[in-house]
Amino acid sequence: MTKNLRVKTSKYIDETYRISFKFNGKKYYGFKGDTLASALLANDIHLVGRSFKYHRPRGIMTAGSEEPNAIVQLHKNTARTEPNVRATEIEIYEGLEASSQNCWPSVNFDLGGINNFLSPFLPAGFYYKTFMWPASFWEKYEYFIRKSAGLGKSPTEPDPDIYEHKYIHCDVLVIGGGISGIMAAKTAAKNGFNTLLVDEKPNLGGSTIYQNSDIFKINNQTSGSWLENEINEIKKIENLEIKTRTTVAAFHNYNFLLARENLTDHLPIEFRKDKVRHRLLKIRAKKVISATGSIERPLIFDNNDRPGILLSSAIKKYSDLYGVSCGKKNIFLTNNDTAYETAISLIQKGINVEAIIDNREIVDSKLFYELEKNNVKIYKGFTVTDTEGFKRINKVSIMQLSKDGQKVIGSKIKISCDCLGVSGGWTPSVHLFTQSGGKLKFREEDQVFIPNSYPSEQINIGSCNGDFTLNEIFLNITKSLKKFLNIKNIEYENFEISSKISKSKRNIWLLPSDKIFGKTKPFIDYQNDATAKDIKLALREGFRSIEHVKRYTTTGMGTDQGKLGNMHALGIISETAGAKMGELGTTTFRPPYTPLTFGTLVGRNVGEYFDVFRRTPIHEWHIANKAEFENVGQWKRAWYYPKDNEDMHQAVQRESRAARDSAGILDASTLGKIDIQGTDASEFLNRVYTNAWSKLSIGKCRYGLMLNEDGMVYDDGVTTRLGENHYIMTTTTGGAANVMGKLEDYLQTEWPELDVYLTSVTDHYATVSVCGPNSKKIVSTVIPDLDFSDKNFPHMSFKNTKIGHINCRVMRISFTGEHSYEINVQSNYGKSIWEKCMEAGKDFNITPYGTETMHLLRAEKGFIIVGQDTDATMTPIDLQMDWIVSKKKYDFIGKRSLYRSDTIREDRKQLVGLLTENPQEILEEGAQIIADIKKKPIEMLGHVTSSYYSPNLKKSIALGVVRGGKNMIGQKLIIPMENKFINVTVADPVFLDKENKRLNA
Amino acid sequence: MLNYTQALNEDKLYQDLQMREISPIMKLIIRGKKREFISAVGKSLNMLLPTEANTSSQSEELTSLWLSPDEWMIYSNKTMDENSNEYQIEKLLNKNISNLNLGAVTDVTDQFVLINLKGNKIYDLFQTGSPYNFNNFRNKKGSVTQTILAKIDVIIQNQNRNEVNLFVRRSFSQHLFSWMNDSASRL
Repeated sequence: MTKNLRVKTSKYIDETYRISFKFNGKKYYGFKGDTLASALLANDIHLVGRSFKYHRPRGIMTAGSEEPNAIVQLHKNTARTEPNVRATEIEIYEGLEASSQNCWPSVNFDLGGINNFLSPFLPAGFYYKTFMWPASFWEKYEYFIRKSAGLGKSPTEPDPDIYEHKYIHCDVLVIGGGISGIMAAKTAAKNGFNTLLVDEKPNLGGSTIYQNSDIFKINNQTSGSWLENEINEIKKIENLEIKTRTTVAAFHNYNFLLARENLTDHLPIEFRKDKVRHRLLKIRAKKVISATGSIERPLIFDNNDRPGILLSSAIKKYSDLYGVSCGKKNIFLTNNDTAYETAISLIQKGINVEAIIDNREIVDSKLFYELEKNNVKIYKGFTVTDTEGFKRINKVSIMQLSKDGQKVIGSKIKISCDCLGVSGGWTPSVHLFTQSGGKLKFREEDQVFIPNSYPSEQINIGSCNGDFTLNEIFLNITKSLKKFLNIKNIEYENFEISSKISKSKRNIWLLPSDKIFGKTKPFIDYQNDATAKDIKLALREGFRSIEHVKRYTTTGMGTDQGKLGNMHALGIISETAGAKMGELGTTTFRPPYTPLTFGTLVGRNVGEYFDVFRRTPIHEWHIANKAEFENVGQWKRAWYYPKDNEDMHQAVQRESRAARDSAGILDASTLGKIDIQGTDASEFLNRVYTNAWSKLSIGKCRYGLMLNEDGMVYDDGVTTRLGENHYIMTTTTGGAANVMGKLEDYLQTEWPELDVYLTSVTDHYATVSVCGPNSKKIVSTVIPDLDFSDKNFPHMSFKNTKIGHINCRVMRISFTGEHSYEINVQSNYGKSIWEKCMEAGKDFNITPYGTETMHLLRAEKGFIIVGQDTDATMTPIDLQMDWIVSKKKYDFIGKRSLYRSDTIREDRKQLVGLLTENPQEILEEGAQIIADIKKKPIEMLGHVTSSYYSPNLKKSIALGVVRGGKNMIGQKLIIPMENKFINVTVADPVFLDKENKRLNA
Repeated sequence: MLNYTQALNEDKLYQDLQMREISPIMKLIIRGKKREFISAVGKSLNMLLPTEANTSSQSEELTSLWLSPDEWMIYSNKTMDENSNEYQIEKLLNKNISNLNLGAVTDVTDQFVLINLKGNKIYDLFQTGSPYNFNNFRNKKGSVTQTILAKIDVIIQNQNRNEVNLFVRRSFSQHLFSWMNDSASRL
């Protein structure tokens, strides 16, 4: 170690366990229990990074998640690199490598520091003002702006870590494991509530746990040791779960909260393998108790941002918890008693306190006298007007404050120092409360926003409720917990509490300086370099809303979200604009409270679990036979089966020829199947489909078209009548779940009078479709007991049969225009029936074909695919399927809409066939269709919906929708492409076997 | 003769969790609203259909799960013969229910895969992928819920302390089982 600033043995730091880490390439040592910040401070390192805009040297300022300055990049140039990590939050581990951000070539010598000298030319709104003209220069500006944007560097490699989600339901969630949270968790759990206590730190106890002076006493014990006993007790309670290193990131409506549990960030990298790094907890709590504490406010004065300037409470934490002194010559600037508490703590450890500069003119607390006894010089009614020291503070200038606190008077005193602790009082952490929809009120007395009304079953307790003293905490917690948990007794009543802290405070949002205001740099947002000057400039330029000032000046828009400075921004706006703080309100608090990794949000929804995959019972066969797969809805469907290095086009040509010439076989198991039963089943189908169903005889199949209420085609498929009151409906693969939901909805809400029951059987059946001129021969070999004669088994009919002892259904239906059979068998026999068909078809060159060939075969026949040839704007009439719309039926879904003026227009887009002039030329699906190339603006008549090269017709065929297309058969149209025009002729959409000879062959 | 292939081809064993498919298990969905329907089913199966939401009832041979006010799943407690898909119970219900127009009986034996889970980590596994609150469910034998696990619809029945039957559509079963294994490996 270069310098060792350890001051005492802390029980939270294990000095027998030394850990080495690297900062900016140099090796240092710390101990188990250190954060990166405490370890750096122990090595006397304050300069950690550079600020965003002016590249000013910045150091560690806090000891918590509110840290704006000490943000570092971890493990640079590795897959695990992470930017913007707060040094105050990361626990050190063997091998940790951290480096400063936003500086080049180094944090000590940063070329970007030139911005600091240019700062008079870089005011608020600099970008808006400067890069507006000339407009054509934007592209040049953009390069430089992009280069300077952001702080750290994102990783470029895939994240090697594992992340998970976890759902938790509890009776009571307590957020924050400080004294208030511990008391609340114990009370709730002991009263029978299943309780979850979360805290962002590795240890419970908040700031009380290291409170071991006699300043605060509970029942004559120091508050720290009292709390330690309480913590030991709650660890034994069975119905109380405690999660440390867990930060609540979001508090949504109805007590739904998201928290990040950090599981491995404190471990050496070699111990992280196969472990979950972060777990996102999705918590539903019946009751929420927020005990999120408060954050100490800095003070706003000239050059208040130098390394070595820390919050006074942070200095206390570093010395009491981590056993580290932040400096050897300490000075405090304060407007309340907090800094006195820290000063006493330092003196007790033998750390030098040079002086206390107190804004208050009258200070009358016990702590004041205690410090005077220790010969600490206290300047009452004084303020710091400026500081010196480029990379570390070395001097402060102080002057007396005027009565109204708006000016400084008298002569300037300079005091040298190496650390300045500041305390501007406390701000309750109400972030989560307001995220949940809670409304705040402003308490004038100590200038804080506190909860006013709760939108759900929740309360704030302790200092996040504005109760800053131990007396207030005990008094209000007992009262509010009794009411909130509806309990009669609470153990914390009538405790003996003693506290030497007084509540007096002199609040001055912007401390005056002897310099002209324009020459000062009083920082409000340390990370984004927004100063009080910027706020005032924004107000002069006419911004009034706090939300606008925030965005114009970027105050509170850093990774720390302005946890330190936002209150001062509000205060300065309020004073300058003459508005009351309470009326001004705050900016909106949005999740997350502290930054989350993307991995936490994503969890296990990556790689193979990114989306759900459905597989057919025959899937393994397709894989074994080298099928390429296509996603259809959530299904993985065999797309084509390439042989001997075929590409898709070649495979599809081969497969489709085989299907027409001899036999093809398709796995159609993905089609939706709905079992329909009930005495009103026929009537139900009449209302659902456009065509009539009452007269369909048992054993017959019929194609149906389903419309939406707006008359547009919604789904289609073949429905088979299995019995008098029993049908099985097939739907499209992608539409199955929606159709099922819609039909069930109709039955429950619109047609409750119908005696009809629906049950999805999509997954129950495997469906094997065998088509082609030889299909009958093949299927009859597999099912020898069934009479396949056309008389017994004509097209559009079905038979129940058996294969061995297994019942199955065979439908003679076709989506290819070929003679074909669909065998439906229980799924667990699906693979076997497929293999049997393959075996039986061997002599007929039975060829498995995928969805691409299926699309080609049906296009040759002019069969539509809902969702490809339709797009929710096509009526059956637009599809030239007038024949399927019953004129006689009283009603069906969408009927009325078919007679609206718009749906009966003759010039609607209608489905037609398209034939290219050059039969070898294949159109692109989605290509636009026009008639007149010279017309301006060019008139687009429609687009190509399906397009293939048909090996059976030996020409290119396409389907498309064309405005008024129905009456354009034979007409020439043009498809404009990027580099050419393709001439097409409008044709009938049925290209093959219009007479259905093949179907009935 | 057709060969039988169950959906999941291996059992998974972890220290505190076992997961395996049980098959063939006969499964029927029965639906009906009429009072006669409930009593006819009761008489045919010699068991009462559960009428309280999210509960189940059991006889020696069968279990019935409440799925909605007019919908139940009946499944066999023991495995069936792989070489037949004719079920006497289905025939009986068809005779006493469907044929009399009292309601609907549908065979869903292969619609759902039954995954049996045993061990004291079952609910820890569920917590990693299901938003459902299992706090009361786990303490009430026979509880049933239809919820989401890893974005997939499932029916879960509390069979016994530390034993659960989970029903998932066959097409989702391999994906779900793979996800369950992935998640279980870190419990």
